[in-house]
Amino acid sequence: MAVPLFETENLEFSYNSRQSRPSLDNINIAIHKGVRAVVLGANGAGKSTLFYQLNGVLKPKKGVVKYNGKPIDYSQNSLYALRNEVCVAVQNPDEQIFSVTVEEDIAFGLFNTGVHREIIDKSIDDALFKVGMAGYRKKPVSQISKGQRKRVALAGAFAVNPKVLILDEPTAGLDPQTSCEVMEAIDQISITGTSVIISTHDVDLAYAWADEIYVLKNGKMIYSGEPGAFFSDKKSVISAELAIPHSFSVNSYICSMRGESETPYPRTDSQVICKILPSDAKVGKIRLIRTSKSVPDIGKIDERIGIYGFNTRRLFMDSGLPVDYNFNAVEHCIIEALNGNNVTLYCDECIADKIDSRIKSLSQFGKCPEVI
Amino acid sequence: MSGSDLVNISTKNLSFSYKYSYTKSLNNITINIKNGVKTVILGSNGAGKSTLFFQLNGVIKPDIGSVKIDGVTLKYRRKDLKFARSKIYIVFQNPDEQIFGQTVEDDIAYSLRNIGMSKDLIAERVEDALFQTGLTEIREKSTLQLSYGQKKRLIIAGAIAMRPKVLIMDEPTAGLDPQMSLEVMEIIEYLHYNGTTIVMSTHDVNLAYAWADEINVLRKGELIYTGVPETFFSDLPAVYSSGMILPSIFVINKSICSMKGISEAPHPRTETQLFSKLASGPKGTLIIADIKNIENIPEGTHIGVFGVIAKKTVNDRKLKVDYCFNGFELCVGDCISGTNATLICDAGCIPLVEYKLSILRNMGSDIPYRTLGRGDA
Repeated sequence: MAVPLFETENLEFSYNSRQSRPSLDNINIAIHKGVRAVVLGANGAGKSTLFYQLNGVLKPKKGVVKYNGKPIDYSQNSLYALRNEVCVAVQNPDEQIFSVTVEEDIAFGLFNTGVHREIIDKSIDDALFKVGMAGYRKKPVSQISKGQRKRVALAGAFAVNPKVLILDEPTAGLDPQTSCEVMEAIDQISITGTSVIISTHDVDLAYAWADEIYVLKNGKMIYSGEPGAFFSDKKSVISAELAIPHSFSVNSYICSMRGESETPYPRTDSQVICKILPSDAKVGKIRLIRTSKSVPDIGKIDERIGIYGFNTRRLFMDSGLPVDYNFNAVEHCIIEALNGNNVTLYCDECIADKIDSRIKSLSQFGKCPEVI
Repeated sequence: MSGSDLVNISTKNLSFSYKYSYTKSLNNITINIKNGVKTVILGSNGAGKSTLFFQLNGVIKPDIGSVKIDGVTLKYRRKDLKFARSKIYIVFQNPDEQIFGQTVEDDIAYSLRNIGMSKDLIAERVEDALFQTGLTEIREKSTLQLSYGQKKRLIIAGAIAMRPKVLIMDEPTAGLDPQMSLEVMEIIEYLHYNGTTIVMSTHDVNLAYAWADEINVLRKGELIYTGVPETFFSDLPAVYSSGMILPSIFVINKSICSMKGISEAPHPRTETQLFSKLASGPKGTLIIADIKNIENIPEGTHIGVFGVIAKKTVNDRKLKVDYCFNGFELCVGDCISGTNATLICDAGCIPLVEYKLSILRNMGSDIPYRTLGRGDA
């Protein structure tokens, strides 16, 4: 088996000796490369503390943290090398913003990691675009809202293009569409090769996004593995002070009503709808179009249009083409098709295959829209 | 609870800009907040939700337009503001901006002392507010040592102690983890049921949909919608242009109805309402027990808790409970699936539970229930 990206062995940590219990108690995790990992837990469960162990900001009191199979060495040089590859975006942006203007702040991280000056300019533009803050480059950070500062902090992390991106509550405090935009950026980054680890207490988000979840409760890890099995144990969910995701309870109820098996667990609205769709239902087609560098010729179609991916978004925004589903478009297009209508989804070349297979994987739940 | 349409707070053509700002934070807002109506102000970050709230009790004075409270136009003299603030209380989003006392009980008493209330009455009010928010145990704790969730509950306790007619809450569940938000929502539900008019701001569409009678949607300082949530969420361009998304339950109901060829209305807003609409087959019985009847609970059912007092009693007596939060939803979920369940709740909450069951009945599921110590219903 491959060497895990991150591995901890009997990790223990307390902030001071007077604590009644350690902040992290005997944590053993193994997060593999490319796996979408979520650390789930209530406020105070130890999520952020765990993250600070992973990039060497905090040193465990007992146990080891290994990165790519090697224990982290806490010398200045190796920490510098580690942080070049592993980037943590903390929950509160104000702890991570150091500069006067938005662009300076994003450049700060880039300078530190030794990126060439000529590349920096474009990197700043790209990173701001990814978080929907393209027009804010010259703004003073003191004049933008907290949600916007949060996105600047995320853009700073995206800009350095790390191998591993660790995001502490990336959507906390953001409104729904902005959250979707940020999650879309994270999705694309993870599809194109960066390993992403997220912490959250938003169970719906965790359930929809994660391949694997690590559940923390009072500093102890009480579950690791695929999300479905955890949420089917109501008692553990409640004792970890979490809630049951909407998709999970809707599915479990509908299955008990129909006397069907709850697995495979649908994790998004579209998967739920797919599962309850009658077998004779008429399903629309999804026209998946890979966008190239030039503006696509939409022509005259009376189907709804969705866009997904940075490049596509930029093309459509620059040219002012009409779009129906601007965000969370994959999900929207699938639901539209399941409701019997044809739709068109424009998406970036580099993620198109993944999106294609994501749509096709719906067949495990029931009738799935044809991709053309 | 008053069912009258008497307007409690209203604004007329209200506009406001912050100093040095080129754009209007609020532009020509005319809004009516009615007595007893669960009102949500929905909007993305920066839409103007908090700015609007500060107009409603006179913290900020509009540039143009006016605010009326119980039909009387608000003047900004000291006496008028004092009157407005005795009726309307704002709970801020960030609790650190609103906690002044050294200890929990001291903080709750702070506003009461400010309005010159007698010592005896203050003691009584503080006691009651501590109890309703489940903070009695930590009444002497320093406010510096509280967790975020405790601070949120403390500022709600401060509000409860003032017994305002209208309670305005700015993002009451923001930053809370799932169980704590449900706990706060239970407190809010209880207060509303007992006659306080509650207005809350949020950008959580699922929460807004489940709770609100009426939503007011703000977009970049303009009011773009007022009315029942369903009409707004049926208008996709409006939803998207205001930075919102569709609530999960709304999407699922819509798809199921279009598949089955049935009407989308009545619109379920919660999971149990959705299940009630879809369910067929026999239902389990919901056994409702107030805390005096805990000993009489039959064995063999799942047990849930609803209400702060019930929760505290269950904790103190170390009773084994299956659903220690979101008790109503989870117990009723069991009943719809055909098994019996028991809900332990505050005596004062029983009518509220009955009311919630009546909504499920309208959705199509008549869940039989009996209240312990009261004979069979």
